[in-house]
This record gives sequence, structure tokens and C-alpha cells, in this order.
Amino acid sequence: MTWTIVVGVKQVPDADEVGIDPDTGRLDRANAPAVMNPPDRNALEAALELRDTVGGSVLVITMGPPNATIVLEEAIAMGCDDAVLVSDRAFAGSDTWPTSLTLARAAETLEADVVLCGEETTDSSTGQVPPGIAAHNGWAQLTYAEELEPQPDEGRLVARRDVEGGYELVAAQLPVVVAVAYGEFDPRPAGLHRKIFAENDFEPREWTAADLDIEDEVGLDVSPTAVGTMETVEPVERRSELVDSVNALLEPLEETEVVG
Amino acid sequence: MTGTETETQTQDTHEPNYDEAFDVIVVGAGLAGSAAAVTMAKRGLEVLLIERGSSPGAKNVFGGVLYTPTIRELVDFESAPLERYVAEKRFSMLSHDDETALSLRPGEWNHDPHNDSYTVLRGEFDEWFAQQAVEAGATLVTETTVTGLVRDGPQIVGVETDRPDGTIRAPYVVLAEGGNSLVSEGADLKDTESRENVAVAVKEVLEFPERDGVIEDRFRLVGDAGVAYQYFGEGAVGDAFGGGFIYTNADTISVGAAYRLEDAATQKQSPEETLNLFKTHPAVAPLVRDARTVEYSAKTIPEGGAESIPDLVHDGAVIVGDAAGLVLNNGVHLEGTNMAVESGYHAGRAIATATERGRRDADVLGAYPADLEQSFVVQNLQRYAWMQEAVEADRDLLFEALPRAFADASTEYFRMDRQPKESHAENAKRTVLDALGGWTGAAKLALRYRKVVT
Ligand SMILES: Cc1cc2nc3c(=O)[nH]c(=O)nc-3n(C[C@H](O)[C@H](O)[C@H](O)COP(=O)(O)OP(=O)(O)OC[C@H]3O[C@@H](n4cnc5c(N)ncnc54)[C@H](O)[C@@H]3O)c2cc1C
Ligand SMILES: Cc1cc2nc3c(=O)[nH]c(=O)nc-3n(C[C@H](O)[C@H](O)[C@H](O)COP(=O)(O)OP(=O)(O)OC[C@H]3O[C@@H](n4cnc5c(N)ncnc54)[C@H](O)[C@@H]3O)c2cc1C
Repeated sequence: MTWTIVVGVKQVPDADEVGIDPDTGRLDRANAPAVMNPPDRNALEAALELRDTVGGSVLVITMGPPNATIVLEEAIAMGCDDAVLVSDRAFAGSDTWPTSLTLARAAETLEADVVLCGEETTDSSTGQVPPGIAAHNGWAQLTYAEELEPQPDEGRLVARRDVEGGYELVAAQLPVVVAVAYGEFDPRPAGLHRKIFAENDFEPREWTAADLDIEDEVGLDVSPTAVGTMETVEPVERRSELVDSVNALLEPLEETEVVG
Repeated sequence: MTGTETETQTQDTHEPNYDEAFDVIVVGAGLAGSAAAVTMAKRGLEVLLIERGSSPGAKNVFGGVLYTPTIRELVDFESAPLERYVAEKRFSMLSHDDETALSLRPGEWNHDPHNDSYTVLRGEFDEWFAQQAVEAGATLVTETTVTGLVRDGPQIVGVETDRPDGTIRAPYVVLAEGGNSLVSEGADLKDTESRENVAVAVKEVLEFPERDGVIEDRFRLVGDAGVAYQYFGEGAVGDAFGGGFIYTNADTISVGAAYRLEDAATQKQSPEETLNLFKTHPAVAPLVRDARTVEYSAKTIPEGGAESIPDLVHDGAVIVGDAAGLVLNNGVHLEGTNMAVESGYHAGRAIATATERGRRDADVLGAYPADLEQSFVVQNLQRYAWMQEAVEADRDLLFEALPRAFADASTEYFRMDRQPKESHAENAKRTVLDALGGWTGAAKLALRYRKVVT
């Protein structure tokens, strides 16, 4: 039996180009070009490797504005079979709850056996979306996966998970949602002809909230997260002092109660 | 779209293949490549433009003035990202600690079309220019390096790239890869340039973080006006054969030096040292004071002149721009941008005509070198072919003795003491004549170099 593998990718502002607005001191994301969230490349590579061993197809989805198409093109260039852009004004203001609901419904519609995600995004970095997808669909989840071993005959996926002080091997029954550890699964370069195809001739499918029957379950109103206040923290003034002996160092440290 | 249409069937995206889907492949989206691409795309050809950088121009080291008479004809120039127009050209001789300069500020340069001379940042300009080709119908692929040519017998039928599944075939290939032309050389379409015919260029982009308006104040500028300063002599590039330059961009300046690779090797002059020497010259240091370096880069410039132009046409391929050695670099002129665009344009026209006639042999592409010979490109290169050699022969005189003599002469001529002016003038004249080898030497020199300006 072959697998249908769905990969979630997100467009984020290019971290190299995010500047600090000199007037407000805030991060200026609006002017940075959008690129694929770097950890998602690892998820794509993991998906393509699974397809290489098990067979099947890799479908990539993104929930985002229409110009998010470029991250889908990049995924197609790497070798994914098809792509879906889930885009709708109704999604505006969605936090991780409706975002993962949307992706969960899309994965269900695509009849996913495995959903692969990046560890977290470089712009919001909650890491909540992959477990959220699993929770909405009642599917198994494997987070921080460093290695994957598919067992198609048993309908199982085994992951080596990075945990504090070592690793653990966890087997999950399909369907399963996997968050791939950032930096594992070195992404393959796009083939020349695929790259030309992806950037010039490929059109992703486009789904709206209504297509997924979730138009009343997304957006700002149903997002439980509320941002209280934002605070810009000024860096603490640091004093630097050179001392000649260990005792001279110990004294002020004792005074400030750094050592007792 | 309705919910029922969210079917899971996938498009057939397996193994797309673009062999022979394009009429022509252009290697390099620099000025020459994009000029060729836009010319051919406008004639209805399917063009594939391959660039190794993350975007066109991302890797381009260029410190200077873009000459635009041909670009203006090819595309909607109004939307081009320009920094400043050149309102002043300044030629300056630097000895160890003197400067003697000639400054030109013709009023006409302040008016459109500004003598078709603009400073640009190539990262922005090349991206825009390639975009003009894309808008005309060309297909651009970036982050892809061409590693070789595909042949079928003598005929060039495509290119190899560094990507998986990286070979692609098309009837014609335009080699627009710039001065470091590894593909053309690797395919034996041209010889590797000898060290005497290659200049090494280093360039820094500097900004002035302290306050706005520094550039306008230091270079005496208003609005979009800018300057192109060129420097010669030992104060500019030490014992090497070459020169230094300063160009003003909108908010930054480009400062650099270019000199023969041969000298970089034999005189043991590192590019960094040379540029630092130039930047600390007493006549230059005040211009770059309190500046912060935002970019540093180094590159080679071909300067073999007319004699070094390789065969421009091969079966299925043409060479354009710097890859074909089309740069005029003689001290007074440093022009490669206009030649790159002009050659790309003529090559593009020849290929479009050949494609329309359904032929691909070298003969039918002969229109390209023929047109180029009639154009300013080859005419200018031939006109100054003698100069490189002459300057090389007079090198010590031109770059060391003369800058010093002129400085000494002006010191003499304007000297404030209690001697009459007549004796000052006499001393000044003698200083220069001594350096030139008397009246006979001066006359010979004038004769030898009259063609630079006449
Ligand atoms: C209070 C609040 C309000 C917000 N309002 C807005 C808003 O108005 N507009 C807005 O654009 N964002 C908004 N966001 C951010 C947005 O909700 C999150 O970016 C999004 O839910 C994904 O979360 P994350 O980036 O932390 O993903 P993570 O959980 O860190 O992502 C992990 C992985 O999940 C997958 N993934 C994540 N997001 C997507 C996606 N969209 N498509 C496909 N795969 C994905 C990727 O594989 C990714 O690597 C808001 C967030 C909060 C907390
Ligand atoms: C420091 C410096 C200052 C200069 N100042 C001036 C000046 O003031 N005025 C002037 O007119 N000229 C000047 N020149 C010369 C001018 O820059 C060149 O003549 C001009 O850029 C040539 O254009 P080109 O398109 O032939 O090559 P390039 O501009 O070099 O473009 C070549 C392109 O091909 C790409 N490429 C190369 N190899 C490959 C490959 N294998 N596969 C895919 N892509 C590839 C490169 O990334 C690049 O984008 C200067 C040059 C330098 C270095």
C-alpha cells in the first residue's frame, strides 16, 4: 500500500532581510520578502524520502495569502507531486487554533496517511500547529522527529525523537502527524526541469474556507489567544571592570550576592 | 469552487521535460545576457535565461557608471532603478602626496538624458533589467550555474547545469557569463586571457552613518546629480598599472581600484592594501572620512582590447559582453556596460533572424559580428588598441614622473615668495620638461597620445 503524504509549509518574512524600524524600534517584517519557513524544507525532504521508500505521493499545502504560491512552487520544484493553496479572507486574524483546524480539514480531505510539518516557524514559532492538527483529527503525533522508519505493512511510522539527554523510538499508527526536528533531513536541490516547471507552468489548487466547510470556525473571532500588552525591553546597562587578582574579583561578587 | 471539487486527484507533474522547448538558452543574467534575452523575447522567441546568483546582479561587483544609450531603446527606461546621473567627471593624478586634477561639469549633463551616464547598484539594476526580459516573455531561472555545453558533433545543442537532471537542450546558446568565462573557456570557444590582459578590481561601498547630506556636501551636489572621479598615478594604485575611482550612489559611494593582474602577482600588491593606500591618500581621505564599509568585493575585468576578442560565433552559440572581452579600459574611458548591452542586442537580433529562417549554423549568425564591427563597440576598441601598449611602455613616466612633475610645477608656478612670477613660470616649465625629456620628448608624447582626445 502506498502512502499519501501531506506537508504543511508556511511563508515567513526572510529573516536575513528583517530590519529594525529606526523610528519605532520594532521589527519591520512588512518590507522583508516572503520565503519558505526554513524548517519546512526539512519536512519536505523527510516526505520525499518517505515517498522514495514507500511509494505514493507528496502533496503540499499552505494556508496563507495568494502570494504564498511561491513557497508551493519551491516545494513542487523539490519534487512534490501537487500543491494546495488554502486562502480566504475569512482566515484573517486566525491564531494557531483555527490554523491547525484548517490544515487538519485539508489533510483529511486529501486523505493523508502522514502529515509532515516543520518544527516551528521563524516568525511566530509556537510549534503548536502540528500537535493542533493531530488533536483536531484525533490522529497520532510524533514531534521532534530526527529519523523516520516507515513500516507500510503494519501501517506504522516509527520515529526517533530527540528528547532531553538522548532519544526515544516511538511507533505510531497511521494516520499520523509528524513535526520534523529542525536541521535534520538535509533538503535536496531542485532538479532543473522541475524547477522550470514549478516556477512557470505549475498552478496549485486553491481552496477556500467554504470548500473545507469551516467558514464559521476560523478567523479572529474564534481565535482564543488574546495578546495582553506588548513591552519593549531596554537592554540593561553593563559595567565592565578589570581586576588583577582572584580576591579582587570575589569581593564585588560577594557584595552583589552573586556568590554567598 | 465548491466543497465537492476538493477531489484528491493530483496533476501529472512527473518528469517535466523542457528539452527543445526553448529557442535559445542565455547563460548569465548580467547586462549582456538580459539585453540579448529582451531583444529575442520581443521578437517572439522562447528564451531561457539562466543565472547562478540568487537573483540577477546579486553577485555583481561593479563600481560605476552605467552607459545607457542602447538600454534606453530596448526597454521602458523610465522605471529603471538609477542612483544618480553623472554631473561631473574628474580626472586626477596622484603622486605620493600631491594631486593635480581636471574637473568637467558641462551644463548639458544636468539635463535629460544626462549624457546617458548614471551610477547604479547592479544588485538592483540587473534584477530590474532581467525582469524586463521576463515581462517580454523570457523565462528566468536563478540559483543555477551552467557547468558546460552539450555538443552534438561540432554543434552546440544545449547546456549542463549544477542541478540534478540538469542538462537542457535548445538550438542556440548565448554565452553572457562575464569576464570570468569558465563555460566558454571550458568548451574551448576562447583562450584563457593572459595575466597582462586582465585587471583585478576591488570595490567597497561606503555609507556615512553620522548624518544625511554628507555626499551632497562633499561632492558639491544637488538633487540627483552625482560624480565619477577617476584617479591615476602611484598614489592611486602604487607601482601597479591601473587606477582608482570614486562614484556617488544615492546614499552610498563606491570606492575602488583596478589594476593589472600581472602586477597583483609580480608587485606583490594585495587588493586590500592597494585600496587602503588609495583611501588614505591625502587628497582622497577627506572624501571617505567617517564612512562605514557596507560591502567589499573583488572581480576581474578583461582589458585585452580589440585583439583579444575571441571568435564571437560558433555552431549554435555566440559570445557577448565581458565574456567576449568587450571592455574599453584605457585610463580615460572605462566602458563595458554599453558594450555588453550593444553586443547582447546584436547577438539577439542575429539569433532571432536565424530562428525565423529555421537555420542554426555559424554562417547565419554572422550578422552578429558584422553588426558589431559596424557599431561603436569594435570601432572604439580598435581606435584605442594602440593605447594599452603605449601606456605600458611609458608607464613610469605617466604614472610616477609626470604626476610628480605636475605637482612640482604647480607648486613652482603659484609659489608665494619675493621672486617675480616670470621666474616661477620658468621653473614650472622646466620641471615638466625635465620629466618629459625636453621639448622633443614632450612633442613625441603629445603625438603619441593625441588620439586619446582627438
Ligand atoms: C493572537 C494571535 C493573532 C494572530 N493573528 C494573525 C493574523 O492576523 N494574521 C496572520 O497571518 N497570523 C496571525 N497570527 C499568527 C498565526 O496564527 C500563526 O503564524 C499560525 O497559526 C502558525 O503558527 P506558528 O507560526 O507558530 O506555527 P508553528 O506551530 O510554529 O509551525 C510548525 C509547522 O506547522 C506548519 N504550519 C504552520 N503554519 C502553517 C500554515 N499557515 N500553512 C501550512 N503549514 C503551516 C509548518 O510546517 C510549520 O513548520 C496570530 C497569532 C496569534 C498568537
Ligand atoms: C569594479 C568594476 C568597475 C567597473 N566600472 C565600470 C564603469 O564605470 N562603467 C562601465 O561601463 N563598465 C564598468 N565596468 C565593467 C562592467 O562591469 C562590465 O563590462 C559589464 O558588467 C559586463 O556585463 P556582462 O553582462 O558581460 O557581464 P556581467 O555583468 O559580469 O554578468 C555576467 C552574469 O553571468 C552570471 N554568470 C556567470 N557565470 C555563470 C554561469 N556559469 N552560469 C550562470 N550564470 C553565470 C553572473 O552571475 C552575472 O550575473 C566595471 C567593472 C568592474 C569589475
